[in-house]
Amino acid sequence: MPAARKTILVVDDEPQIRRVVKHALGDDGTRVLEAATAREGLDLAAAERPDLIVLDLGLPDGSGEEICRQLRSWTDVPILVLSARHSDSEKVALFDAGGDDYVTKPFSSAELKARVRALLRRAAAITAEGATKIVREDLEIDLDKRAVKLGGSPVHVTPIEWELLVALATHPGRVMTHRQLFTAVWRGRDHGDAQQYLRVYVAHLRRKLEADPVHPRFIFTIPAVGYRFGP
Amino acid sequence: MSRRRRLRDATLWLVVLAVTTAILIPFRAELDKAHITLVLLLVVLGAGAQGGRALGIGIGAASFLVFDWFFLAPLHTLVIANPLDWLVLFAFLATSIVAAQLLHREQESARIAGARADEVDRLATLGAEALAAARAEDALAAVASRIRESTGAESCSIYIAEERGVRLGAASPAVPAETPVPPLVDWVAKEGAPAAQTSGGTSRLGSTGFRVREIARKSDSEVHAILLPLTVRNQTVGVLRLEGGGIAHLDDSQWRFLDALAYYAALGTERVRLAAELANVEALREADRLKDALLASVSHDLRTPLTTIKALAHELGALGDERSQVIEEQADRLNRLVARLLDLSRLNAGAMPLHVELNAVDDLLSAALQDIEPRLAGRTLVADLPSDGALLVGRFDLSLAIRVLVNLIENAIKYSSPGTTIRLAVWREESNLLVSVSDQGPGVPAGEEERIFTPFYRPSSERPDAGSAGLGLAIARRMAEWQGGAVTYTRTSQGSTFTLSLPAADLKEL
Repeated sequence: MPAARKTILVVDDEPQIRRVVKHALGDDGTRVLEAATAREGLDLAAAERPDLIVLDLGLPDGSGEEICRQLRSWTDVPILVLSARHSDSEKVALFDAGGDDYVTKPFSSAELKARVRALLRRAAAITAEGATKIVREDLEIDLDKRAVKLGGSPVHVTPIEWELLVALATHPGRVMTHRQLFTAVWRGRDHGDAQQYLRVYVAHLRRKLEADPVHPRFIFTIPAVGYRFGP
Repeated sequence: MSRRRRLRDATLWLVVLAVTTAILIPFRAELDKAHITLVLLLVVLGAGAQGGRALGIGIGAASFLVFDWFFLAPLHTLVIANPLDWLVLFAFLATSIVAAQLLHREQESARIAGARADEVDRLATLGAEALAAARAEDALAAVASRIRESTGAESCSIYIAEERGVRLGAASPAVPAETPVPPLVDWVAKEGAPAAQTSGGTSRLGSTGFRVREIARKSDSEVHAILLPLTVRNQTVGVLRLEGGGIAHLDDSQWRFLDALAYYAALGTERVRLAAELANVEALREADRLKDALLASVSHDLRTPLTTIKALAHELGALGDERSQVIEEQADRLNRLVARLLDLSRLNAGAMPLHVELNAVDDLLSAALQDIEPRLAGRTLVADLPSDGALLVGRFDLSLAIRVLVNLIENAIKYSSPGTTIRLAVWREESNLLVSVSDQGPGVPAGEEERIFTPFYRPSSERPDAGSAGLGLAIARRMAEWQGGAVTYTRTSQGSTFTLSLPAADLKEL
């Protein structure tokens, strides 16, 4: 097996942006493939099975949302979306279609690298299939025992908070939309007006897990879209 | 024509009287005086009904003589033997006159009623035409031609008074649009008073509330044209000008009718004015839409080159060039400036999308801090949540609220020195959720506490190129107000405090 030589596919119609991404990510032995159109991107993704896809939202021959949906029909590869200023509802649609995270142009190389690293780490974590424990810093989530420990001490969470935490923590680095979280927790059960209280449940959960709720370490707010577990 | 008709009527009724007399004469021995007077009275009434009051009275007088001459003893003289016959004779005369008078009065009121019905009919037609016309200008033209018809004037023009001046709205018969506006029209529009023009060319001016008919009557020479101000809700909206056709010789009811017509003309004028105003507003709105589209497009298209610039600067930085950091910062600043112009344009147009939801204040603070903390440039940021650990929630748009808070913190960074502390506090006060941002800067110059919220404001002490467009606070306040909140300023002993207020919400037990 060749060591962890990663392959990253960049789909963007702007050659300058492809150059920037390639330059930022192409060091330490990562192979960067380029595609200028959605069609070309989908073909390359199928042929080369990249470890991560960097996808521009404004391609001339297909909406980012549609491309995400097509990719998701056969692969779980992390998708990092590059967006110029897009409306909140466009972002939500993109994540509902399967995008993992996004960076807004103009982004810095450091920001891009950080996001890519986080997504690759998640992909690696998921590959270790059958894991029953999620550990992040001093937070321990035992999926079998349905137990949460922080710095070694047990934390009491309500059933809804538990479901929320599991939905978030099993998708580290991925933006979970309000709708996705809601579906994961309530699974179509009768919920009254629970949906509008989703943010309040998250706030309660955060108060239990974060030492400083305004400087969270685990649960990050993605305005108007949802939440992400991990930076 | 009318005189000939009168003559014909008089002859006719004299013949009728003669024939009636001739028929009665053979029987005068058998007939009572009452029978004769009744028959003659019938003739008098007939003449009055057909030929009018004067003929009735004339035939009455003739009958009086006929009665005396042919039927009262002694016959064929005007002498009256029996004094009682005087009584009969004068009773007959009086009855004739009264009957003719009554008939006349009835006929007159019937005529007036007919004229009124006619006026109402014309006004109704005018109203219907004015309402039915699709274009305001067509309606006004219809009104002009109706007024000309009803008054018998040779020409009727309606002028529209606008801010830019007076212009011709409609004329009957039509004239070229560029026909110059007579100076007297300007005067009437400005003063809101009527005026008249004599055929000699002299102008006679009235005053507000003065009736044009008074001017026309008092004028020593022939009035050739009259000008009426058209008013709607006590505002002069136009001028009605009627020329020729003996316009000064209208009778009272025609003047009254003209007043009613003038009201229609005023409404028509107002409609044209409003339609023009609406078109103007539409044009402005379109310009606003274009501006928004342009800003959105610029803001979007700038991002790709800015990304490249930042990346290249970063690469230069890796090679040890310290200026690269400045390039990156300036690229970000340019990006923020365009984004803010777009925000301001949308807020001004009321087109900022709004999604008000139940949100926890923790989300607001954590997302705002995550955004701003890399840009503190040496200031310390301290955020205090309520000490009792209560979870504060409100109904607001999280994205917009974050931008308001980030703008307030950016402002605090801009006007305080490195090494100072910026303090955030959150609390609830009645139905409001309050987030304050306090800095240790110099504070806002006295007297400028409200002006700081106007777009493009810069403190009077600041250098013109101090690196701010002066949009942050203006946008912050409008974004807060857009979601039912507010941003206020207070001076503290330490510096400045800006407070964002948002609608609070109460949590049911979860």
